[in-house]
Amino acid sequence: MLLTSVVIIIREVLEAALLVSILLSMCRQLSVRQGWFKWGALAGLLGAVGYGQQMGSISSAMGGVGQELSDAGIQLLIYLCLLYSCQKLVFHFNHRQPLNTTLFVAMAVAIALAVIREGSEIYIYLSAFHGNQESRLGLYSGAVIGLGIGFSFCALFYYWLLSFRPRRAVFFGSMLLTLVAGGMILQGCKMLIQADYLPDGQAWDSSSFLPEDGLPGQLLYAMVGYEATPAPAQVAIYVFAIAAMLTTLTLRYRAGLKAASPIEQ
Amino acid sequence: MSKLMSTLGLATVVALLLLAATSVWAEKPSFNLEIREHLFTPAELRVPANTKIKLWVYNRDSTPEEFESYELNREKVILGGQKALLFIGPLPAGEYPFFGEFNPKSAQGKIISE
Repeated sequence: MLLTSVVIIIREVLEAALLVSILLSMCRQLSVRQGWFKWGALAGLLGAVGYGQQMGSISSAMGGVGQELSDAGIQLLIYLCLLYSCQKLVFHFNHRQPLNTTLFVAMAVAIALAVIREGSEIYIYLSAFHGNQESRLGLYSGAVIGLGIGFSFCALFYYWLLSFRPRRAVFFGSMLLTLVAGGMILQGCKMLIQADYLPDGQAWDSSSFLPEDGLPGQLLYAMVGYEATPAPAQVAIYVFAIAAMLTTLTLRYRAGLKAASPIEQ
Repeated sequence: MSKLMSTLGLATVVALLLLAATSVWAEKPSFNLEIREHLFTPAELRVPANTKIKLWVYNRDSTPEEFESYELNREKVILGGQKALLFIGPLPAGEYPFFGEFNPKSAQGKIISE
């Protein structure tokens, strides 16, 4: 029980924790306020309990694939929020101007949705096995250890990203956000395949040298949505999502540079 | 900028719809799995190769379980006393292990595609 509980909690916490640490460190580097974070986290925690409680009716909706469709919807929304927030931050790096509330809302929504998705599963797991007297100690010690490891990882990552000079940190942070956002699309597509809204198949099999159930595979899964045997449709949409984000970020970086130096060339 | 964003959003939606339209909507063969006392029955499920199937997983326990398989790329939470639907395949012939993430030691099984 203890080990199972640690593994489940870490797997769920890592993804949201990584997102939080990248966004917070980028804000710190750019002297953007971080107050939005607590609202996002709070909304996420409340949402996770609500989503977890409604899981029964969500699952049976849409002919039995409601869980997949709502998951995919959440993941697409996270991608869009990250795309919007990241291009704003990249522009802001070159051309400092007062920021609008939309950016803070987008970042808070991204965090809230990530916490809802991961937190609801933790809620379902903990509330289901809470009733079992014998395993309760293992369940909760496992959960505490899992949360501890997840949050330590988040803190380490946050300070590591702060240790870079701003230009490098913004570049590195943007690349990481692109990978995390792409991972959301990859996992969202997996849900659509499971619901039979996208065709299944196997583009390649990298499970022999990087298995999904090994430690590096698990870490990569939690951080960037790694799949050892992705479907062709998943890969195609993933590549499109990453390319769209990279293009947007590059254009906005240049636009920021141009706006910062109004002298005609 | 917002124009570029909305164009990108629209393109994504169109791409998804096109892909959804190409998947086959014909009735698929249906298979059942049961979870009882944190065990899958049958522990080995034989399905036709290269055919998309509907897999209904009935959770007869009072506790939830997460059906998970790295080989099949599937994961789905099934609450206690509920059933869940997963579409699987078309699978090349072979063995595809799955397990229950909430009880990984006991809840194990495999799909044999032949």
